Formats: sequence, C-alpha cells, structure tokens
Amino acid sequence: MKHLTRRALSLVLALALLLSACGAFAEESTIIGSTIQYDTSKPINNGEDIAVEFWYWTGSDKLFQAVVDEYTAIHPNVKITLVENPWDDYWTKLPLALQGKDGPAIFNVHNSYHENVIGYLAPYDIPVEDLEADFVGVSAHIIDGKVYYTDYGMMTATMYYNKAMWAAAGLTEADIPKTWDEFREVAKKLTIRDENGNLVQAGFSFNGGAQGDVLGMQYQYGQNLFTADNKVSFNNDAIKAVIQRMKDIYEVDGSGDYNFGNNSGDNFGQGMIAMYLGWGFMHGLFQSLWPETEFGSFEIPTPTEEVPYAYHRYNGESTFGVNKNAPADQQAVAQDIIRFFLAKDALQKQFVLANSVFPAKKSLAEDADILGVSSIAVLANHIDRYIWPGPMPSAVENNMKIALEDIFYNGADIETALKNAEETCNMELEGSEFVSVEPQYTYASEAK
Amino acid sequence: MQKRIKSANSLRSKSEIVLRNTVVASLILFFLVFFYIPIFAAFYGSFHLWNPLKGQFKPIGLKNWQTVLNNSLFWFSMKNTGVFSIVAVAARVIIGLLLASALFSKLVKARSFFRMLYYMPTITPMVAVAFVWKNMYDPQFGLLNQLLGSKINWLFDGRYAMIAILLLTIWKDFGYAVVIFLGGMYSLPMDCFEAAEIDGANARQRFFRITLPLLKPTVIFIVITSFISYFQTYIPVMVLTQGGPGTKTYLASYLIFDQAFSKYNFGYASAMSFILFLIIAILTAVSFKAAGENGQ
Repeated sequence: MKHLTRRALSLVLALALLLSACGAFAEESTIIGSTIQYDTSKPINNGEDIAVEFWYWTGSDKLFQAVVDEYTAIHPNVKITLVENPWDDYWTKLPLALQGKDGPAIFNVHNSYHENVIGYLAPYDIPVEDLEADFVGVSAHIIDGKVYYTDYGMMTATMYYNKAMWAAAGLTEADIPKTWDEFREVAKKLTIRDENGNLVQAGFSFNGGAQGDVLGMQYQYGQNLFTADNKVSFNNDAIKAVIQRMKDIYEVDGSGDYNFGNNSGDNFGQGMIAMYLGWGFMHGLFQSLWPETEFGSFEIPTPTEEVPYAYHRYNGESTFGVNKNAPADQQAVAQDIIRFFLAKDALQKQFVLANSVFPAKKSLAEDADILGVSSIAVLANHIDRYIWPGPMPSAVENNMKIALEDIFYNGADIETALKNAEETCNMELEGSEFVSVEPQYTYASEAK
Repeated sequence: MQKRIKSANSLRSKSEIVLRNTVVASLILFFLVFFYIPIFAAFYGSFHLWNPLKGQFKPIGLKNWQTVLNNSLFWFSMKNTGVFSIVAVAARVIIGLLLASALFSKLVKARSFFRMLYYMPTITPMVAVAFVWKNMYDPQFGLLNQLLGSKINWLFDGRYAMIAILLLTIWKDFGYAVVIFLGGMYSLPMDCFEAAEIDGANARQRFFRITLPLLKPTVIFIVITSFISYFQTYIPVMVLTQGGPGTKTYLASYLIFDQAFSKYNFGYASAMSFILFLIIAILTAVSFKAAGENGQ
C-alpha cells in the first residue's frame, strides 16, 4: 500500500513537472495575432545589442512609448530612441534625414505627405495577402504588388452635438436627423438669439476649416472628387449644392453666422454652438480641452433617406514606415516592430481609441470599448460606405479653402470661385504624382 | 638698431597680413556660403522642377518664370505688398519721428523708461506677438472689439483683414524708428537749435526747418531698410490670416513661403523670389540715387 502511494505520488509529481515544463515551453513560444503573427520567442538581431531611432510627431508620446515598452520588454537587446518633432518641422526634417544613412530606421507616416516620403520607404516584409486578411483598405495602398504602409484606422467626419443644448431645446434621441432637411429644422430649434436678434447660440457652425467638410460631401450625390485623368473636379453640381446648402443654413435659416466665432471646433467646445461637423480626432480633443462640455455624435446627414454613394470621405491613420536607406540590421528591427504592432490587437486598440478612428483591423471591428466611443459607433453600420480618394496633395484643400472664403466672406459667386479654384488646383497638381484611388472604392460603379 | 626696427616692422607687417587675409577670407567665405551660393542656387533652381524633400531636380526651362509672370495671384500679392509697405513705412517714419521728437524735448522726464517701453515690441518675437494679436482680433472675445464697442470680424472681413495685419506690424516696429531717430537727433549740432531759439523760432519751426532737414539721411536710411524688410513680410500673414479671407491678404513673401514650404515647389518659389529680389534691388538703387542727389 505504501509502495502504491509512493508510486502514485511519484507519478503525480512527474506529471506535474512535465505539465509545468510544457507550460513553460508554451509561454516561450507564444504567438501573437491571427494571420499576421508575431513570435515573441524569436530573437532579433541574433540577440545582440542594437539601437534604432523611431521618429514621430508631437502629440502621441504615450502611444509610441507603449509600443517601445512592450517591444523592448520582449527584446531587451534592442534600444529604441523615440525622437519627437512638431508637425511642421517633422515633415521638413524627416524627408531630408531619410536621404542620408543616419535617418531613423522607423517613423510615423501620414498619407498627406505620401509623395515626399514614398521614395524613401522599404516595402513591408509581410505578404500582401496576410495584410489583406487582417486589415481593411489595404488594396488602396498596394504599389507594384508591395505595401509600404497601410491604415490602422479610418478617420472621417461625424456630427457632434451638445447634449445640454439638445435637451434644453426639447429634443430627444428620436430627433436625431437623418437627412439634411431634418438637420436644418433641428439646427433652427437649437439656435438662440437675444431680443436684438444677435446670435447667442448657433444651431450649427462651419466657420474656419469648412474645406474639410465640403471635400467629402459631394460623394453623397455620387460625385467623385477626381476625374479619370486625376484632375480635381470642384466646379460641379454636387459641390455647388453642398455649398448652397451651407449658405442657406446661415443666410436663409439663420442657424449660424460667418462672424460668430472663427473656429467652429473650438467654439463647440466653448459652448457657443450646438452642432459641429468634425473629424474623429476632435472627440479626444473635446474630452481633454473642454471636459465640462457633454457631447454626443450622429452620422453625417444625407440628401435623402436612401443610402448614398458614400457618406463622406475618410482618411486613413497610417502605420509606420521603414527607412530603406537605414543599415540592413536596423531595417530588420524596424520590420520586426511593425509586425509586432500589426499583430498585437491591444496596441492597435490603444492607437484607435487615442485617435477616435474606426479600426482597420478586422478583429477589432466589433470591440465593445471601441464602439463605446460615440463618434466611432455611428460609423459601424456603414463603414464600407466611406471612400478614400487617395493621399491628396495639400493643394486640393488649400484651393478649396480659398474658394470657400471667397464665397462666404468676400461675396464671390459659387460658380466663379469654384472655377478659379479648380483651375489653380489643377495647375498646381501638374507636377504631382498623385493618383486617385476612387476607382478602387467598393461601390465605384455607382458614381455619376 | 635700424636693423632691429626693420625686422620688427617686417614681423608686424607679416602678422598683419596674415590677420588681414584671415579676416577677409572669412568674410568672403561667409558671404559666399550664406549669400552668393544660395542666390545662385535659387536662380539655377528657378529653371527646374525642384522638390528637395523628394530629391527632385528636373530641368524645365523657363516654365516657372512663365507661370509666375502669368499668375494673377502673384501680381495681386505684389500690389498688396506695395500698398502694405508704403503704409507701414509711412506709419513707422511718422510715428517714430513724432515720438522721438517728444522724447528729445527737454520737457519730457523718464526718457529711458519711454525709450525702453517703445522699443520692447521690436524685440519680442513676431510669432508670439502675432498669436496674442490674433486673440485680440477675435470677433467675440477680442480686446479690440471690446475697446471699440464694435463687432468687426477683423481677420475674416476683407475690408479689415489687411488693416489688422498693418496695425500689428506698425505697433511692433515703430519703436525701432523711435530709437534710430532719437540717436540721430542727439547727434545734431546743438548750436543750430540755440541760434534758432535766440532768433525766436518756435518749436514747430525748429522741427520743420532744422530737425527734419538735418535728419534727412536718417529718414532715408529708415525708409530704405524698412522697405526691404516689409517686402519680405510673411509671419503676421501666416499666423493671422493665412492669406485670407480668400486671397485678400496675400503678400509676395507669404506666397513664396507657401509655395516653398507648404507645397515644396522650390523652383517656382525661386522664380518668384528672384522677381521680388529684382524689384527690391531696383527700389534700393533708386532710393540710394535719390539720397545721393539730395545730399549733393
């Protein structure tokens, strides 16, 4: 009996040892990710010490520090130096630094500067099929069968509304407008004037930066922003209708005023206006700068109740770039960091939440925390109905800005202002290598 | 003894020659590296499609120059620059002269304090000052509307936007003229003033008949340097209006800045810079000639 007990005990101990050994083995070879996978047990640079620089622009230090901390916890032999630059400086210094051999091995990318950096990027060493399996929108980033960066999130415009003003006007969730006509009625109800007719609270404001709103709303009428030969199209019926409606909201409905604040985003946070059409990043900005302003979001209204060609345009928040001029061992580390970042959902989630963007990673599309952000949640049902025109050169927004200011502030007529802006913009785009990716949109065939 | 002196002289002259050559060579090198080579590079670049960030430098002949000369916005900006410069220079000279005369008067006390007070805006960084003025121009909360009891949207109303930029520029720069004029006044021969006072000339007569004619070289110096500086103004435009509303406040230098550092179209910006450079050079030459003739 004693022998039996001893034997049983020995067997249990042996089994326990075996199991714990297996456990340890399993822990060492932990694989992160679904299609794009990252093996944390695989050493980088043969385990030898290596240092790389990682450049990013001001405003996201905690996010990038998180990537560095998590990566270096797995690979203590890698020293990553984060280098921060203000936005404007970043886009001057980075391309110049990338021309030499001492530039950063890895850096943050924004697609609006695509033309200035694409020549210095090394393609991802992750197969395109794997990227497409895990992320949406990859096809728009394929150049000659290779991907140099893609999107981790999609940012677009949503309507923000001040909840206190909404309630004070006797409005409920049921009053959330679906069409522009309904929106105009709601805006009227949210507008407050004093006894002299002076605006005290605007129902809606687009002052300062309306070009970001207008360049996207023409899609609701089935109108693409670029022609087949990559020329910009401003002077068309769709954009005229969009601008005329904006004018009518102020001049006919009296729901706003060109001189009631010069920055509608700030003015919304300051409690001057009730509704504001803003991009995803404004969600975080409102929370940090004006925490006392309680706000909600709803999807951008449409001309009719029918699903439009596209609700608006989106712009991708880009994944990192690898410097093709960096030494080979540094490039290998950069590629490894990118694989780690793309494979790890928790990091993707941090970046998505910090920028209030819809996740490009399919595994996060229904994440409860992400959908808890109102400006993201409203997009969930129609995210496929948002279009990306491609990495537009700044000339497009700059010239639309001039046209809109001429119309709204200088009294120019819509047709003349748009015609001038279109001509100037196309002249400025002549030397550009920009190619519109509108034809790659899922519903491209529905365009007029 | 003579031999020793000769040897000392030759030693001194040798070291002097080395020093002279070093100083002159350094200056030539400095001007070469920071002025002449960039000017030549810009001129050469104006015949190219040039984006240094992309490493692009493709010859395109006279295309940039043709585009500039046919660009209505460039000529509109040049007209704006001309008007802006004339008003700013006139205001700088008039305010500077008036305040310098006031400080020059024996009746004024605490001269150093006022001199410092007037000069302070000149030494504050333009970007920081422009941001403060931007808040002052806010149509809702701005100090200026509250002081004037007005409801002007200073930076977005085409009638006022350029005035807003001018107000900031004049406020920022008049102190420089005050200090230079005051320096000029202190160097004037006092016996002229004493003689005029004995002859019964009043303060106004003394100013227009003695101070102003004697200060003419200082006035010309301020006018020329101010014109050169105002033709290159872009920071207040960049901070306050970005050329808007529409293109109402575009100045030539802002347009050049925009083409070079927003659109990275360096070749096109270089062609514009050269036209501006030629205009400034001609204006300066004319001013010097006029000043020379006046002096004679």
